[in-house]
Order: sequence, then structure tokens, then C-alpha cells
Amino acid sequence: MVDNRSPEAGADLDRLSLSRRELLMGAGGVLLAGGLAACGSSGSSSGGSSGGGGSAPAGTPKKGGNFRLGVTGGGASDIVDGQSIVTKPDQARLIGGWETLMTYDEDYVLGTDGLAEEVDSSVPGQVDVRLRSGIEFHNGKTLTADDVIYSIQRILNPKEGLFGAAGLGSVDPKNLKKMDANTVRIGLKQPDSTIPDQLGQYFNGIVPEGYERKNNLKWIGTGPYQIQSFTPGQQSVAVRNKNYWRPASDGPWFDQVTVTDFADSAAQVNALLAGQIDAITDIPFAQIDTAKAQGIQILEGHGGGWLPLCMAIDMEPFTDVRVRQAFRLMADRPAMLEQVLSGHGSVANDLFAPFDACYSSDLAQREQDIEQAKSLLKAAGKDGMTVDLHTTNGAAGMVDSANVFAAQTKAAGVTVNVKNDPNYYGDQYLKLAFSVDFWGTRGFLPQVGLGMLPPPCPYNETHWPPKSGEGSNYIDLYNQALKETDPTKRCSIIHEMQKAEYDVGGYIIPFFNNLVDAHSAKVQGFKVSKATLNLDTFGHGYRTIWFT
Amino acid sequence: MRLGGIAGFVVRRLLLGVLVLFLVSLVVFAATQALPGDPARSILGRTATPASLKALREQLGLSGSVFSQYVDWITGLLHGDAGNSLAAQEPVSDLLGDKVVNSAFLVFCAGIISIPISIAIGSYAALKRDRAFDVTSSVSTLVFAALPEFVTGIALVVIFSTNVFTGFLPAITIIPPGARPWDDMKAMILPTATLVLAVTPYVVRIMRASMIEVLESDYVEMARLKGLPERTVMIRHALPNALGPTFQVIAINLAYLAGGVIVVEYVFNYAGIGGALTNAVSTQDIPVVQALAMLIAAIYVVLNLLADIATILVTPRLRTRL
Repeated sequence: MVDNRSPEAGADLDRLSLSRRELLMGAGGVLLAGGLAACGSSGSSSGGSSGGGGSAPAGTPKKGGNFRLGVTGGGASDIVDGQSIVTKPDQARLIGGWETLMTYDEDYVLGTDGLAEEVDSSVPGQVDVRLRSGIEFHNGKTLTADDVIYSIQRILNPKEGLFGAAGLGSVDPKNLKKMDANTVRIGLKQPDSTIPDQLGQYFNGIVPEGYERKNNLKWIGTGPYQIQSFTPGQQSVAVRNKNYWRPASDGPWFDQVTVTDFADSAAQVNALLAGQIDAITDIPFAQIDTAKAQGIQILEGHGGGWLPLCMAIDMEPFTDVRVRQAFRLMADRPAMLEQVLSGHGSVANDLFAPFDACYSSDLAQREQDIEQAKSLLKAAGKDGMTVDLHTTNGAAGMVDSANVFAAQTKAAGVTVNVKNDPNYYGDQYLKLAFSVDFWGTRGFLPQVGLGMLPPPCPYNETHWPPKSGEGSNYIDLYNQALKETDPTKRCSIIHEMQKAEYDVGGYIIPFFNNLVDAHSAKVQGFKVSKATLNLDTFGHGYRTIWFT
Repeated sequence: MRLGGIAGFVVRRLLLGVLVLFLVSLVVFAATQALPGDPARSILGRTATPASLKALREQLGLSGSVFSQYVDWITGLLHGDAGNSLAAQEPVSDLLGDKVVNSAFLVFCAGIISIPISIAIGSYAALKRDRAFDVTSSVSTLVFAALPEFVTGIALVVIFSTNVFTGFLPAITIIPPGARPWDDMKAMILPTATLVLAVTPYVVRIMRASMIEVLESDYVEMARLKGLPERTVMIRHALPNALGPTFQVIAINLAYLAGGVIVVEYVFNYAGIGGALTNAVSTQDIPVVQALAMLIAAIYVVLNLLADIATILVTPRLRTRL
């Protein structure tokens, strides 16, 4: 099946190249997600307020210049597609060229600042999308309902193997109705309150009717920039869309955007210091001080990516909830954050989806408690136990997390043997009692659809939910939440689900990572945002940034 | 008679080269076969299904016997078809064409600068043996020979691009799609300088050693006793005889450059075969790895052959033994 974790997991080369392998054969597994009651996305959030904003843009925007961005993680497998990515440079290319129906703002709140001026999901089983009128594609064609229908059908076509298919699994591709030139009624196979969120995922871009990755429409979108040239593993050039639909005062400002692939982050930093490029993604933590000393600006965005330690709740030694609780109490989360990410992140509380409006932030922060862990283990008859922790050099930090945790458990007399296995994502993946994995930013419900339910949902590392006791009604709650259109009621259902995960779940989630990028002082307009993609969602598609 | 001798020698060496390449092809093929587990499974990773495994095995040509797989691959290679890249899903030749040109140009720049310089320095050091120039050049070549090229490269970047003379020279080489490396020679300076500093010391030292040997020989003394000007002694009598061993070292160094550019390309983000090779290894793009391994092996064979021929041409007494 297609790995639709990867585009959001964004922060790492290796996880992206994993998805590449999966894309190669484009196996027909997307149907799996459809069979499940939608691996949908979290409810339309009601507006977080903290953490966004940040440095106020200085000066008045002005037109001109060639914005040169350096990105690591690309290679021969780079692609350009309005609805798909393989590597991180692909994200940087997609985001300037294509736009979505809905959008996320700097606080990760969903809104209608995109191609749709209204998205109505108040009637269960259908979503009405009304487009803004007068939007044109790069080739001058006007955006209509037909393009939206084509775009959604392309995402859902199993042969295309696109990321968005899993999240839109409850959409019935044969039941997309054109109500008028600008309105589409999306028919659902079952109620799914998360469809609007999926319409805001950056990889669900709107492409013109007839679009294919290799035909004459391949670089046509509605975005602020149009791709002019592209060489995988090297460079792409995009020029400003002179016909862009937003008011001129909203940008875009640059004449041109050049994205260059870098094999090595040291070369990337050198190029930035020497003034050959204007911004880079993922500056190595060790280089931050050097770069700052030379006048480089660091942009640290709040990320929601996470590296869980996964305990399979139906496998020894974790069948006993006391063992799981003991392991959670052995973790010193702030120390893990410091040692694995040099502090560039925030401490987590064994729950995912921190940007979701329904995130249960009122649950007490779990802290290391060796004595309590010891007595739980003793009660379970497991004191002095030994267990293997499987990991791999997949996403950055997966091996470090395992090693740091293994060191922390010694205090409780537990021996954790770290097994670094290059073939981790082979036959044994998801069948291990204790393993490390990686996930990107997403809302709560879509994350549940991908990782917290029995098959056919694809990546349930902890074999959640339990058969009895707290959490055994988890699947029912999930389906209720998908049907619930009232955000407040949906949140209370989600809180119940999260309480069960917090009390008896199989994840140890130590921290959420930040996105740490750097840019030259002459680039203005970047904001510190909560985002899935680097550099303030690449300066909102290079539209909200400019040269002084 | 003599020419026939050389021609025969070249033919024999060519045949030997073909044999070497054949053996290399066996090793490269065996190495890619020896990858842990089933290549199709390792490529598909966690999404492998029986159907997708079967499809990928067919695509990779893994369904036949090992022997027939090898024959298919080597036959394709002989027809100039190195297969399709798994990562890029396009012919390997399309993927690597420009990159081979870029890397070849970098090696060419390094060679065209380092060879004359090292021959001149080595010869002059031999002539001024144990004097200040000789001592200075000996010590500095020893230092540069001891430094790995990535250290030299990063030091040059720090000095000329990022920290001392910020922005004086480009820190990396950006070759836009469709452009050629020679379109922006300024960006070639640091990578070329790094390679020159990496290769020159060896050639200087061997040139100095063989020049000293030649200068102590009877015929050079004879030439001097005849009263020939020192210039003539050096260029007409000593240099050709000292060049023989040096050619061998130059050939080995140039061949080394073909592989050694990998590190330098990495430091300077240079779009060449080095980056392609590291990327292919990390994405397990077997056809690309195989093609590049064969290409680098072929460069070794060809350069050694050229060096042998050049040695014979400058060493008349070797010709009689052919």
C-alpha cells in the first residue's frame, strides 16, 4: 500500500526514501484504507491560539529577485506532481505550484483561504465545495468543478498510488456531482467528518482536468509559481504566476524560485554562508551557533512529528498493563528531548496529534518515577527483566531514542537491548513486541485511522485497542467521532479515546520535534508557525516572503 | 618492426583489459547478488505483497537463474544498455549522461593543472636537491599527501567562501539543468584546487625520486661532460627517462580521481557520478550502482593501458623487449 505517512513525516530523508520504494510498485493496498471507515483527518479545529505568530515581518514587501532554496533529502527519485511527493525537495516544488481547496494557517487551524470559498460538511454523508470564481491555471484555463472532480478521482485511483487516497477513503469516486460550474457535491460511502481536513492536506492539490505526471499539463497548477524546468536530484526553477488570483498585495513577490538539491547538509550550510543560496531546510543543530554568528537567521517552527517507542499490548512482556505503565514511568522525557534533539522540540505526554484542537492537554504530564516503575514491575513479577528494543536508521533520531531510553531503564534494574536492524521495515515490522517508529504531524482522527486500529489500517505497531477493560470501546468511539458533526461533541469523544491511550496504551511518546531551518537576513516575512512542512510551509508557497 | 611490436603490445594489453573487465563484471554482479535477502523484498520493504514481489522480480530480471540474469545484464551492457534506474525509472544512460560529463570535466581540470605542476616541481626539487626549495616542497607535499581531500576541501571553503574571505569564491558548485560545468569556471576553482592538492604530492614525490636517479646516471654525467647546457641536459636527456615511472603514478592518480571525486563532489554538492553513486547506494538502485562500478573499473583499465603505452614510448629500451 501507499505510505501516506511520508509526506507529512517530512523531516527526514530516509523515511521519504522508504515511501519511494513503496511507490515503485504502487501496490493496490489503497483499497484497504477505503474499507476502513476512513483514515480521515481530524475535525475542523476550533482555533488554537498559542504558539503561532512570532517575528513580525519587517518592512514592506517588494517585488523581484530569485529566491534560492537548498533542500537535502532528494535524489534521482525526485518527482514533480501536484498531488504526490517522494522526497523533501518534491515538497518544496509542489508547494509553490499547486494549491488545495482548504488551507491550514500558522496555528494549524483549518480555514477557507484556499481555492474553495466555502466547504459545507453539515449534512452527514456529503461535502459541498464551492470554488472561488475567476481562478485560472498557469495555462490560462479557468478552474471549474470539473477540475476538482478530476483531481479527487485521480487521488482515489489505485493505479496512481497517491498519498491522499487513504485519507479520502470514505469518498465515493463515482459519486462526485457537479452542481454548477463552481460547485461540487462530494458523496461519501459513510459519514466522515474529517473530509474538510483532507482537502487541506498539501498533497491533495487541485490539478487541471486531464493532468498526468508526464503529459503536457504536468507542471500546470494554480499556485503562485509555475515550474519552468526540473532535473531530478539537481534543481528546479519556477517563475512567478503573473495571473495569480489573490490580490497583488498578498504576493507572490519573487520573480523566480530556484530549488537546489543537496546531498550533504554541511555543503548546504556552506552555500548559505557564502551567499549562494538564501534559505535551507533542516540546519544541523551543531551548526546553528556558527550560522547565527555570521548573521544567518534561524527559523524554528513547531512540529508535531514524533518517534514513539511502541509496546505491543498483546505480546509478552507487555500484555500486563503494569509492565507498560512501568516502562512509561522509566522514561525521562526532557532528558530524551535534550539528548536526541538537542532540545529542539517539546516534551510529549504519550499522546499524539498535539496540534489537534481536541488534544487533551489537561492530562497530567507523565514524569520519570523509577520507584513507582520498580514496584509495578515487582507486582507483575517482572523485576530485573530483559527485553529487546528494535530500531533502525530510518528517521533521524530513531536509534538515539532507543539508546537513550535503554540507558534510562538501568536505574529500574531493567535491561533493554537495542537491536539496530537495517531490515527493520521488512517481514518483522509491526510484529515486534518493542520497537521504535516515526510519524509526522497530523490530526488525531486520521492518525488513529493509520496507526491505532486493527487491519486493514496499515501501521498499528502497538496492536491497539485492548480486547477488554479501558479502551475496549475505542473503535466504537472512533466511528462515533467520524459521524459527529458538532465539534464540541466530537472533542469530548476524542478526549475519552485519549484518556484510554494515556492510561493503558502501548506508546511511549517522549517528544515532538521542531522544524529547524535557516535563512539569510535579507529574506523577510517568515513566521514561526505550527506546520507540517519546513520553513513556515516554504514561506506559504514562496508567497508570503520577499527580499528586503 | 618496432611499431608492430607496440601494436602487438597494445592488442595484448587490450585483451588483458577486456579480461579484467570481465572479471570485474563477475565481482560487481556477485556483490549485488549478495545483498542481504531478496533484492525485491529489500526494495519493497514493509509494503511487499506476493503480487508486488513477483512483479518487481520480473522487472529486475530476478526470475531466471543467476547465470541467465548475468548473461542478460552483460549482454545489455555490451549493447550500451545498462538497464533502467529503479529510483528514477528511466534509462541509466539518460540519468548518468550529464553527470559523467561533469565528473570527467572536473577530473580533466584537476589533471591538466596538477600534471605539469607536479612534473615541474618534482624535477626542480631534484635539481635543487637538499636546498631550500627541495626541503620546502618535500615537507609541504608530505603534509598535503597526509590530508584527506574532504579536510582540504572544507578548509578551502572556510578560507575562501564562508569564514575568512566570505563570498570570495563559491562554496559549492551549482550546475543548473542544461548548463555545463565550464559555463561557470569560478565555481570550479575550489573543487579543482582540492583535487589538485590531493593528487599533486604523490606525483611530485615520484618525479623527484626518479629524476634524482636519472641525474646521477652515467649518461647525464656524460652529457654534462660534453659541455651541453644544463637546460638541454634536463629536457633532452634526463626528463624523458624520469617520466616513465611518473606516468604510472599519474595514471594511478587519475584513475583514483575517477573514484576520488566522489568525496569532493559530496563536499561541493557537485552534480557528478559521485553524488549519483552515493544516492544509488542509499536507495538500493542496483542498475545504477552496477553501471558506475563498471565505468570506474573501465577508466582504471584504460588509464593504466595509456600509461603503459606512454612509458614505452618514452623508454626506447623497453620497446626492444616487446
